[in-house]
Amino acid sequence: MKILLIEDDPETADHICHALRAQGHEVEESRDGAEGLATARSGQHAALIVDRMLPGLDGLSLVKRLRAEGSQTPVLFLTTMSGIDDRVAGLNGGGDDYLTKPFALVELVARINAIARRGDPRQHVTLHAGDLDMDLIRRTVHRGGKLVDLQPQEFKLLEYMLRNAGRVVTRSMLLENVWELHFDPRTNIVETHMSRLRAKMDRGHSVELIHTIRGNGYILRAD
Amino acid sequence: MRIKALHTEGFRIAAIFVAIFALSAAVFTVITLFIVNEEFQDQIVQFANADIAAVKDGYRTNGEAEAHEVISQRMAAPGASDFLLLEHGEKRLAGNLAPMPHKTGIFTLPYPGNAAGHAILGVGVFIAPDLYVFSGSDLYHARLARRRILRTLIWVFLGALGLAMLSAQAVSRSLLRRTDIIGRTCRAIMAGNLASRIPLRGTEDELDRLSETINAMLDRIAALMDNLKEITNDIAHDLRTPVTHLRHRLERARSQAATTEDYDQALEAAIAASDDILALFSALLRIAQIEGGARRTAFAPLDLGQLLAQLGEVFGPVAEDAKHHLCLPLNGPASILGDRELLTQLFSNLIENAIIHTPAGTLVTVSLNRENGEAVVVISDDGPGVPPEEHDKLFQRFYRREASRTRPGYGLGLALVAAITELHGARVKIDTNAAGGFSIIFRISLSQS
Repeated sequence: MKILLIEDDPETADHICHALRAQGHEVEESRDGAEGLATARSGQHAALIVDRMLPGLDGLSLVKRLRAEGSQTPVLFLTTMSGIDDRVAGLNGGGDDYLTKPFALVELVARINAIARRGDPRQHVTLHAGDLDMDLIRRTVHRGGKLVDLQPQEFKLLEYMLRNAGRVVTRSMLLENVWELHFDPRTNIVETHMSRLRAKMDRGHSVELIHTIRGNGYILRAD
Repeated sequence: MRIKALHTEGFRIAAIFVAIFALSAAVFTVITLFIVNEEFQDQIVQFANADIAAVKDGYRTNGEAEAHEVISQRMAAPGASDFLLLEHGEKRLAGNLAPMPHKTGIFTLPYPGNAAGHAILGVGVFIAPDLYVFSGSDLYHARLARRRILRTLIWVFLGALGLAMLSAQAVSRSLLRRTDIIGRTCRAIMAGNLASRIPLRGTEDELDRLSETINAMLDRIAALMDNLKEITNDIAHDLRTPVTHLRHRLERARSQAATTEDYDQALEAAIAASDDILALFSALLRIAQIEGGARRTAFAPLDLGQLLAQLGEVFGPVAEDAKHHLCLPLNGPASILGDRELLTQLFSNLIENAIIHTPAGTLVTVSLNRENGEAVVVISDDGPGVPPEEHDKLFQRFYRREASRTRPGYGLGLALVAAITELHGARVKIDTNAAGGFSIIFRISLSQS
């Protein structure tokens, strides 16, 4: 897919481009806010990566303008480390996700994949993957027709994995979206809950649904 | 200095006071002169009325001749009116005035010979159908008195004005001298002499108080700068260790790695090490940001009971896997005002500490109670505890107990807890519980509703 990167630091931009192209994405680049806004207005992009601090027009104003003009293109904000507090402002201003510099490139790729393919705005009532069915109204999960008894935290984790089925999900994405923890814990929260979920889900089944991706994350695959 | 004194606030205030003084002095003078004038005229009219009454009396008892007699007597007596006149028809019977039109009531007459500065004020009356009496006095005396008073007042006024201006200049000079001292101190500090302070006079006046406030501010800034210096040193010192490790790993890979797998492993380790370094930076920045107080904008009402229950669900399995027991007797709800994200991090940190720093089999209790308008959260364990003399040090940045030096971490956890607590105007205290284990008590005001 085609991604627009609006980032003024050439070295950061170069790393990001490299990582995204390696994933088979097409990347268009812009070095300042005004030019970036003009390019973004063409509306040809599957997602935007926007730095918060830009010459000309700052990232937040840029996205606010795009949103005011009716653009729905998903936006991932990048910010420097000092801007922890900006996250809320960024998300309120129309951003879909937020990444603090410095970040691992796998993190960026995973997040951009997650927001770019979020496409379907319909409210799901059920989620499926292979022989696994999740009923979001009754809060039940069945695998191969058999009820899987999950704790609330495990249910939330599985729901997030199902909504992002087929995409790599990083630890920090899980911490932020499942447990609302916006910091790096010192205990293995993710691993603990994940292994419990897997044990319950895969008990008596030969096919594993959730796989660990070496380096930084998990993927739920039904094939 | 003289010119500069004219441009000071002290001089401006003094000038305003002088102007107000001049205006009120002028008003006072006008009123005084008016009263003096009235008083003189009253006096003249009183004398005239007394004369006329006496003439009238004489006329009534013994006719015209007696009236005539009275006037002659009165004219000779001291302290009487200056001028008297008794006329029968057009004919002057007695008195020292030329015949004049028979006007009645109080009026003024030109002075005989129209002498400058003189005029006659008096009363004219008919005591019988054809008998006219006038008595009056020269207004010149009133005029003289007025002039004397005016002259005196002008001299007094000029003297006072001169004094006021002199004292205004003195005040502004003294103010200027003192503000110059403050300015000099500030410039000295700007030039690098950070220990410089404004000398106090001990008079406890407003300038002394201002100087005291500025000195206190300078002390605070100095303390913050010392703190910053200390942090910078700590960071530099603590960063050397992980960076050195990273370097060793890379060197070893270059000299010893033989296979692609070896290189892969070395790279993985190097990435993990740099992640650790970045995590250290993030933690430091977060503490700095919280201490800066910028996050108070994110405060919202929240239920501490619900927040802790949720953390119980998150950390329950983690504790279980670490062979610990996590127990949460929560007597919630407890509504408070705070930053949910930061408080989540605070309590996560304390629960993680209890899990990480105690041996397997330890019972960790997180309790919530309401006491005297406060929510009290106690996180305690029945582990080995920490000696009381170390309790205060635990909140310092980079402080790590000997026992935990081998575990990963940088000793920033409780420094962060302290910063978040401070931001919330809450209190946190370390204690040893009945079981001899470690306890940390967090108190925060319940919100009013």
